[in-house]
Order: sequence, then C-alpha cells, then structure tokens
Amino acid sequence: MANADTQRHWFRFRTLQDEPLAASTSGAKPPTILPHQSNSRGSSIFFSMPLTDNHRIKAFLAPPPRQYWAAIGVVLFVSLFGYPLQRWVNYQTLALVYLLAEVLLALVVGRGATLLAAVLSAAIWDYYFVPPSNSFHINDIYDGTMVITYCVVALVAGELTARLRTYQETELRTKLLSESEKLGRTLLNSVSHEFRTPISAIVGAAGNLRVQGELSPAQERLIAEIESAGARLNRIVQSLLSAARIQGGQLQPRLDWCEVRDVINASLRESAELLKGHPVETKIAAGPQLARMDFFLMQQALSNLIANAAIHTPPQTPIEISARTEGKELLLQVADRGPGLPAQELEHVFDVFHRLPNSKPGGVGLGLAIVKGFVEVQGGRVSAANGTNGGALFNIRMPAADSPELPEETL
Amino acid sequence: MNNVMNNVVSTPDMSALVIDDEPQIQRLLSTVLEANHYRVTTASSGHEGLSTIAKQRHDLIILDLGLPDITGLAVLKQIREWTQAPVVILTVQDSEPDKIEALDAGADDYVTKPFSSGELLARLRAAVRRSDRGKAEEPSLHFGNITVNLAARLVTRDNQAVKLTSTEYALLRLFVQHAGKVLTHRQVLREVWGPEHEQKTQYLRVYVQRLRDKLEPNPDAPVFFLTESGIGYRFSAS
Repeated sequence: MANADTQRHWFRFRTLQDEPLAASTSGAKPPTILPHQSNSRGSSIFFSMPLTDNHRIKAFLAPPPRQYWAAIGVVLFVSLFGYPLQRWVNYQTLALVYLLAEVLLALVVGRGATLLAAVLSAAIWDYYFVPPSNSFHINDIYDGTMVITYCVVALVAGELTARLRTYQETELRTKLLSESEKLGRTLLNSVSHEFRTPISAIVGAAGNLRVQGELSPAQERLIAEIESAGARLNRIVQSLLSAARIQGGQLQPRLDWCEVRDVINASLRESAELLKGHPVETKIAAGPQLARMDFFLMQQALSNLIANAAIHTPPQTPIEISARTEGKELLLQVADRGPGLPAQELEHVFDVFHRLPNSKPGGVGLGLAIVKGFVEVQGGRVSAANGTNGGALFNIRMPAADSPELPEETL
Repeated sequence: MNNVMNNVVSTPDMSALVIDDEPQIQRLLSTVLEANHYRVTTASSGHEGLSTIAKQRHDLIILDLGLPDITGLAVLKQIREWTQAPVVILTVQDSEPDKIEALDAGADDYVTKPFSSGELLARLRAAVRRSDRGKAEEPSLHFGNITVNLAARLVTRDNQAVKLTSTEYALLRLFVQHAGKVLTHRQVLREVWGPEHEQKTQYLRVYVQRLRDKLEPNPDAPVFFLTESGIGYRFSAS
C-alpha cells in the first residue's frame, strides 16, 4: 500500500532552503515527514523521508479548534433533542444518553475536547434537567450523587477512550514506519545487488584478461579503461545508494572507539587510484586520537573529501590531511591547494546536487552531501572554509567523549 | 630426477565449490578459477551448496552471503559443523555487520564485490595455505627487521630486544599466529582480554597503536598491523 508513494518520491531530496518541516505537515501538500521524527533524526533533516501514507494517521484528527466546536455541537444537539423528550424520559435516562455521546465523541476528538464536552454536558444536564429545572440548585442527596457520579464517569470514559486511541495511533504509526523502513531497506538491498553484480562481472572479467597475460600495449590500455570505468561506475552507484540510505533514514551508525589514524589510512588506501599525481601529507597529533564513530561511515566521508580534493584541484598540487583534538572535539581536516571556494558558496557546498559554477566534470554533486549526512548521523559537524594557503579547507568535528577507560599495565 | 622435480613443483588441482545464485558471477568465477588450475563445482542456492558439500570433499568454498533460499551465514554455520575447509565469502559494501558475523562464525576471509581477479586469487591461495599449515606452529617468525621467537617469548628489532608488556606480547602472538587472516575485534578481544571484554574496542585501538609504535617502520602508515575497516585487523608479514 505504501509502495506507490514511496517509490515515486524515493529520489526526491530536500535541501535546507526548502520550507521548514513543520509547515509541510499541516499544509495541503502531503506531509513528507512525521512530526515526531524531525527532531529525533536531527542529522538527516536535509534529506526528506520517503513519503508514506501517514495521512492515514492524520485522518483521525481534525485540527484542534474544529474538535472543540464539534464537542460543543454534540452536547447542544443532545440537549436540544432531550429537552422535548423530558415528558416521556426521566432525567436519569438522559444522563445515559449524554454519556453515550461523550464516549462516541472521545473516539474521534482529542482529550481537551472530550473534557470540554464532559464539563459542558454536566452543567447543562444539571441546569435544565435535574429538578428544579433552570437552576444549578440540587434538591436532595440523591440528585447530588447523580450529578457527581455523572461528572466522574464522563471524565473517566473520555479519558480512557482518549488513551486507547492514542495507543492505537502510536501502534499504527510504528507499524507504518517499520513497514516503510523495511520496504526501503529491501529495495535498496536489491538495487545494490542488481547494480553490483554486473559491475563485478565487468571488472572481474577485465582484470582476468590481464591475468591471462600476453597482451599488446593497446589491449593493456583498453583493459585499464574498462577497469577504471568500472571503478567509477561503482563509486557512482555507491554514492547513490549512500544518498538513498541517508534520505530514507536507513543509516544506523555503529559507534565504537576508532583511532583516527586507522580511518585516515583506510581512506587513503581506498582513494589510492584517484590520488595518483597528488602528493598527500598527513599530520596527526601525537598520542592516541580516539573518538566514538562508525568506522565505515567515517572512512566514506573522508574518502569523499579526499576524492573531492583530488578531482577539483590541478594535478601535482598537494593535499593535506590533519587530525588533532581541539577542546572537546576531534578535528579532522582536508586541505587542498586548488582555487578555493567562492565566499558565497561556503554555505551551500554540502547541499545535495549542488555544484560549483565552472566545476570540472566528474561527480554528480552528491559527494559532499554524503559527507554531511554521514558525519551528522554520528553526532559530528562539517564545515567548509578557505585555508590560509589558499585552497579549500574542509573540517569534520566529532565529539571527543572522555578518554576511554584502559586497563593499568606496566612493563 | 626430472620426474621428482615435477612432482614437487606441480600441485594436484584443487577442488573449489562456488555457491552463488548469479549465473554471471558463477561463470566469471569458474573461468578465473579454472584458468588457475582449480576444479570448479557450482551451486546456485544454499541448499544445493550444502548437499554438494555433503556428497563431495572440497579444498575451498566460495560463498555468496546473499543467497535466495537461506542466508549465506546459515550455510556457513552448517558447513562449519562438519568441515574445516577454507571458506571465503563474497559480500557487498555496506554490509559490515554481515561480514563480521560470518568471520566470527568461521569464515576464513571475505572479498567485497566488485573484486579484481588478482585480489580474489591471492585471498584464496592465502586461505588454502593457512589451512594446509594447520596447527603446526613455527617457533619463530620474521617480518621486516623484526623477529618474533615464540618459543623464547622474545621479540627483537634489528637484533635489539623490544620490551613488550604481557598484553602487548599476547596480542602480537595472536597476530603472527594468524598471519594473513582477518581477525574481528571480537575474536581478538576474546582471545587476549577474555570474553567479558569483547566489546571494549578501545583496548584494542590503544594496544594495536602501541605495537605499531614499537614495531612498525612508520607507525602512522602501518604495513604489518593492518586495519580492516570497521571489521578488525589483518597482520601481514610480507
């Protein structure tokens, strides 16, 4: 049931310039995110959730002012209907009719409106129907008990119904969410599989030609072309899948203690091919540089920054990677000696599909957005600036938790 | 004389079983492996793979983790109930938890799609070599300018003794005894610090860095104590 909507909007991205999330939940436009999610997933705000049919949840409730008018309307209707019936029906029976209306009302409106209906109906019933009529006065203990009991029963019935409904709504919301997440994951996994199988076959077969040996220089070059195209295609598929995972809120970072040196080395190894022709300098502060992060996500984020630097700077210009603890944060920097970033672009370089004017071909404008998504989902921050040597400077800041507890040991 | 030499040099063909549901990958692997003197059998599902293994002994098993009928992990666990033949798993990126689970469940190594033939063949050879070597331990091992004498519990660098704490030594011994193999964080922590500490990756990060500081030519760019992204470590003696 969620399929159509989810698929149609799968690749719709939200950027920071879009209208605030809260606005989209009440407007005529279908909501793109459930209200309670906008904060809990703070980091993925810049990608929207895939559309689910969460309007099913909304259909339960009219906006609050209308609910209050509905409550007043129902009470007045029962009163007008009951007034001429007084001759045949005694006022105790009428209380039961009020109760029935109260419970039915509680099924469709919120707690506040139910409470209003309970108070209003108790007042009207007491005033017009409990003898003496047209006064709040109560004659005997019998009627007094009736009025008090009515009030309590109406309030309790309203409250219980409201609770039951809240519970049902939560259930439905959870179910819809998990359905949509499951669908998203399944889709992503199968897309991932479908793309990677042929890429594996292409890259594997090309490489195997070389292993078999006896190739002319031209054949060697052609195989190298196939391999590098395969690698590039694989990077693009990886980017699209990563973006979809961020967008779909499918990222669950596995935070664990990581040594920054390891992350840097893994990224450099992964980017070795792209870095050919760029001298790389790493500066890592002495001593353990540990932070709680998801190794794989951080490696991808850093690889994307490195690839970005390698692609957008002239050949032979150095790329500098540094890491140190600054105050309560671990600061990871990638600096290049390229043309730098125009001042007005600094704010926008991390936006999805955002590309600098006159930037070189290569890449689809997802790399930096993925950096932002991956870092923020781990509780970190990203920023861009221009370095003191000219060239762009990208910062990743991760909260450095208190240094880990280590067993004491001597030589 | 010639005959004897030939017998020593040429190894008999090894049998390899490929369990993967994608015909394209099956064909590719068969071609690559046959060109490198493996006898190849293929299976397209977990159940087919298991029944093939039950019927016939294999020197090597290549297992895709994403199979249509039962998960690769389930297949692996069943394989491990009756054979210690080396199993190399094929996975895709973004599936680190699956890789870790498979390695913990007894897989020997993993290759991430898309892989190069050279990389795959090297992993396969290493896995077979390790399983052939079996439990026979060598008393000492050399890598770079380092010698580890397991019998004497002595580590030297350029013939100078290196002082290691008992934990550092235990970690080093585990690494050299499993040279070339990926060890998951859990496996290392369990082995060196005990099962109650298997979540404490921070121990591992600090101690591996200490080993690197003492034994690597350049501790910031290690060549022996290699990190496997988010999975564990691989000690490389070459």
